Amino acid sequence: MARSMWRGAIQFGLVTIPVKLYLATESGGIGFNMLHASCLNRIQMKIYCPYHDEVVPRSETVRGYEWSKGKYVVVTEEDVDAIPLKTLRAIEIETFVDARKDAHGAQFVKQAYYLEPDDISRKAFYLLKKVLADSGKSAICKIVLKDREQLAALNPFASTMLLTTLHWPDEVRSLEELTLPEADISFKPAELAMAEQLVASMTGEFSADAYRDDYRQALMEVIERKVAGEAPEPARRAEPTNIIDLMAALEASVAAARVDRAKVTAEPVSVAKARPEADIEVPRQRRRKTA
Amino acid sequence: MAGNQLPLSIPPDSAAPRLPARISPMQATAIDAPFDDPGYLFEPWWPGVRGLVFVEGGRLRLQAEGLNDALACLPELAMLPRQLEVDGVVIDGTLLILDGTGRPDAHLLRRRLAGRGRAGRPAFVASDLLFAEGTSFTGRPFRARRRRLEQVLRAGDRVIVGRAYEGDGLLMADALRELGVEALSARQLSARYRAGSAGAAWLRAPTAVGGAEVQRARPLLALIQRLPLEGS
Repeated sequence: MARSMWRGAIQFGLVTIPVKLYLATESGGIGFNMLHASCLNRIQMKIYCPYHDEVVPRSETVRGYEWSKGKYVVVTEEDVDAIPLKTLRAIEIETFVDARKDAHGAQFVKQAYYLEPDDISRKAFYLLKKVLADSGKSAICKIVLKDREQLAALNPFASTMLLTTLHWPDEVRSLEELTLPEADISFKPAELAMAEQLVASMTGEFSADAYRDDYRQALMEVIERKVAGEAPEPARRAEPTNIIDLMAALEASVAAARVDRAKVTAEPVSVAKARPEADIEVPRQRRRKTA
Repeated sequence: MAGNQLPLSIPPDSAAPRLPARISPMQATAIDAPFDDPGYLFEPWWPGVRGLVFVEGGRLRLQAEGLNDALACLPELAMLPRQLEVDGVVIDGTLLILDGTGRPDAHLLRRRLAGRGRAGRPAFVASDLLFAEGTSFTGRPFRARRRRLEQVLRAGDRVIVGRAYEGDGLLMADALRELGVEALSARQLSARYRAGSAGAAWLRAPTAVGGAEVQRARPLLALIQRLPLEGS
């Protein structure tokens, strides 16, 4: 099992539920290593001090906060541990909100974590989960992660609960700079009906399995070919890649072939003879108008 | 016809197996040149592998030439049952791998089926329906099987009922040469599905004859009929 990245307890009134946190997601990107182009060896990142003109081991570094230009105050682990925050080793539940209606602030999510209850806290953990699920509520809580107090939402998820960290209100940008004239727009009933029909026809169950990162797949293919000793194909423009587009290409080709056939046979067939008469009609009408 | 929009709602393990474990597929008869005939439906002979799709109790099986478990090589097709309106279905068609430009790539397909890599995008072009709702359609004429196929299978990004043209084999051959497809399929609309050799029920013709222009067997009749439409 993956390593937990945080241990602590859900604080809920007088109840304490010890839990571990696990990252629920990972970045889908493909990891690259930086190599020296001439020898293809891994490049090492050294921490360099320009004052001493030497490479500094990581153990000799401290964290500094720039409180004024060029002036730093050192913040140590002890300082951090001494912060009198209730949320330091706790997921402090502040309030319960309606899981569906609280969407306003809870849409600005940062990261999702799975929770795993300690042996002794399983019953309380699942009791909380059941209450949340049955009442359709979501718990809004605070937690300190990565040196920061974070706002988070706690929700039932599969056989556990999901802790989703949220952006603080002051981290959410204002809409004022955008042009959003929603109030000025009106719709005809027919337009609404058409849009509703379209939505209804495309409505389905969301299944994440049905979606994939095509760029990542294409990149993996390039890598696989290189590993196999084949030259990667030159980058090509994004063109149709699904079977519907292939059928469209077929239709276009059939239509083009049809036009070609019509051209080839147009001259010998009697229909072509009708054209000169039609051409004569047009100038006659024009003359009448100008006269 | 009635009730063909029924959603797939067969509880798993409920029905006894109704579909055969394997089907001996119909094999096309090779001929020398394309032709026009209103009694035939023409389709591209896509460069892929013949595949029979079985869906029973919502579960998918793929029977492909010379392969034990084609689905293991083409896991992306596992979503196929979601595109079906009914259960107990067997569909005959072609398994393809599309390259980055969306064209079928026989090289990528060979690699896939050999279990080497996951390159390209698998696709299945459906051509014929053998069973629907557990009932055999093999005794029905192709026209009826095809019509039912179009009702049963919804088009998706990977699985689709192939575009086909009635009667216009020579036109199809012209179009396919432009697309770089070397052969076309001609299925007789009145014919039953038969295991093994198809006789005249299913023909395979090259799109180019002897590398030169395709001989036009009976082109004039078809073209004169089409001219007024093109002019209007």
